[in-house]
Amino acid sequence: MTTQSPILKADDLSKRYEDGVLALDHLNLDVHGGEVYCLLGANGAGKTTTINLFLNFIPPTTGACYISGIDVNKDPLEAKKHVAFVSENVMLYGNFTARQNLDFFAKLGGKPNLTKEQYYQVMRRVSLQEKAFEQRVKNFSKGMRQKLGISIAIIKDAAAILLDEPTSGLDPKAAEEFQEILSELRKEGKAILMSTHDIFRAKDIGDRVGIMKEGRLVMERTREQLQYEDLVKIYIDYMKSEPLTA
Amino acid sequence: MINTIVKKELQENIFSYRFPLFALLCVVLIPLSMFVNNAQYAKHLRDYGEQVRLSEESSSGLKIQDVMAGRVAIKGFRRPALLSIFDQGFENALPRYYQFTQDGYTQGESASGDESLLSTQGKFDFVFLVQMVISLIGLLFASDVISGEKESGTLRAMLSNRLPRDAVLIGKIGGGFASLLAPFLAAFVLGLALLVPSAFPLFAGDTPARLAVLALASAVFILIYYVIGTMISASSAKARTSLVAILLIWSGFQLVIPKLSDMLAALISPVRTETQVSLEKSLVNNTIETETAKELGRQYDLIFGSAKPGAADDPKSPERQKWDPLRDDIQMRARENKAQQIAAIEETYAQQKRRQQNLAVDLSLISPSAAFGRFVADICETGDLARTQYLEAVRSHQKALDNALFGKVKRTLMMHSGGRMSMSFQAEPVDPKNLPKFTVTPASLADTFKENWRSLLALAFWLIAPFVVAYSRFRNYDVR
Repeated sequence: MTTQSPILKADDLSKRYEDGVLALDHLNLDVHGGEVYCLLGANGAGKTTTINLFLNFIPPTTGACYISGIDVNKDPLEAKKHVAFVSENVMLYGNFTARQNLDFFAKLGGKPNLTKEQYYQVMRRVSLQEKAFEQRVKNFSKGMRQKLGISIAIIKDAAAILLDEPTSGLDPKAAEEFQEILSELRKEGKAILMSTHDIFRAKDIGDRVGIMKEGRLVMERTREQLQYEDLVKIYIDYMKSEPLTA
Repeated sequence: MINTIVKKELQENIFSYRFPLFALLCVVLIPLSMFVNNAQYAKHLRDYGEQVRLSEESSSGLKIQDVMAGRVAIKGFRRPALLSIFDQGFENALPRYYQFTQDGYTQGESASGDESLLSTQGKFDFVFLVQMVISLIGLLFASDVISGEKESGTLRAMLSNRLPRDAVLIGKIGGGFASLLAPFLAAFVLGLALLVPSAFPLFAGDTPARLAVLALASAVFILIYYVIGTMISASSAKARTSLVAILLIWSGFQLVIPKLSDMLAALISPVRTETQVSLEKSLVNNTIETETAKELGRQYDLIFGSAKPGAADDPKSPERQKWDPLRDDIQMRARENKAQQIAAIEETYAQQKRRQQNLAVDLSLISPSAAFGRFVADICETGDLARTQYLEAVRSHQKALDNALFGKVKRTLMMHSGGRMSMSFQAEPVDPKNLPKFTVTPASLADTFKENWRSLLALAFWLIAPFVVAYSRFRNYDVR
């Protein structure tokens, strides 16, 4: 069950960098609550730029993006209250334990008074091993870091979650576990925008899948449409097609 | 939110390998420097006490005949500065004593003669540690405060939250600085505690206030370097670039600018050497004395040339009645003339020197290290101010001795026609027990602040300017 108005919305969003490269070209996109939107595309297609624009790490050249109806560029701090972010290589403070990392980011996310048990519950929910809760993160595997990263997103309890290639480099079991967590978050009504190279994962988890090429959203399919189409073939065809700017 | 960042920075630093190393360095080196310099101070103080005692013994047996014979040389010793334990400054470079004679004062040897060549690279004291070691560590700690977090990706994670960048910057500076300050202050307090059993007068006079100012100034100095490091870190995309920039800036501020400023000031505003000035004064002295002796001889010959024998020795003879006031008048005019000319030479020299020193100070204030060094040396009574006070005390003591001792003997040197010389004396009794004692009054804390306004202004500038630059750089910092 998705929300009527989108939680994440890109409105004619473009980004041209100082060196002249057009990284994003008039992107229009929306993600509703209870929906997972997967962005597919080659390196440099504009997936990460889209996420960076939603996080106000860079300003748009034209257009606007909104989180829960708030213009990110006009009121970035207010907009960031409603979004959580998980990057490809979840970066955490290596000398802190899992709980200390969680505590720090929970406080930044506006949850200053959580108990140790509440942190433990979230970490149990993402299937992080109990013995790792009070271990320093610097010795964690990528899968464990990813689980902790999603714990941080869960504990913030934001309406939208941005995931930048979160399953990249994960082993199949860890990726499967990750997918299960995303399904739960979708059920809770979160709007999830995930950039990925993993076509199979996108097809499995995505309610909608978009393919980006050279900064443009060149194709969008719903889960229903993809039941009758071969996403891999579509993707490869787009990648092999002539450059858009040519 | 700032508190959360401060706490995180503190924890992160404390858990890192750098913190225990830094804490160990502080806890070992700072108390050690105090302990070693306290032992040195105690030795100098004993020497001082002994020398003063011997000098007083020698003065108590003084006779007016010795003054008449020009054999009297009274020494005035400078008491070692208590806070030289923390900052040696000019302590060993200043003369241990000045010698006063009826012809003026001359400086005695300094304690620097006992030092090794390596001491020219900086003396191992608290201020040296703050200036050379802790400042560098502060910069290194700050080198990756922004660029390092960008490289590790945690900056993106942080800034994806509702977190203003100014809060991040202030929190990072606050937390990083607190993690430097805590072991530093602990080591300082430990060092003071170790001094107490050796009868260090910790609570005497204004010592507690001076120590508090010293600790505060050192803390501000460390903060300045931490903020400069943060500014560099916020201006670089990579921690390694920050590191190179930091080392260049540190060597410029610590090693190049302070030394270059003295050299540039000497080139721009040259001053004659003290030997040249001394020779000029001697020339004036000799010329006036010779002229006076000639004038006295001529007048004496005119008055007593045709007088009956014994008239010169009879105070009631008409010739003596005429001669005595005339002699006093010639001698007084000569004294005044000499004093005027010598004062003019000294004043010109002092003005030139002041101009050069002011220029050197102004140039050196480009470096926060020089500003800090000058200020804390004055706080510890081993800086420029102590040198000036010492010299003022010497001049004033010479005047006091001239009145109480040397002026009690009036010599009249005459050069008669034909080149014959004669000399006569008039002496008043002298009480050697009541001779003035040589003391140097140290500048008060208020005067020290007043005299150091430029250094304090420079420190304030170096605290605010890098923060403003760091803030503007970090506002537009590319966190991707």
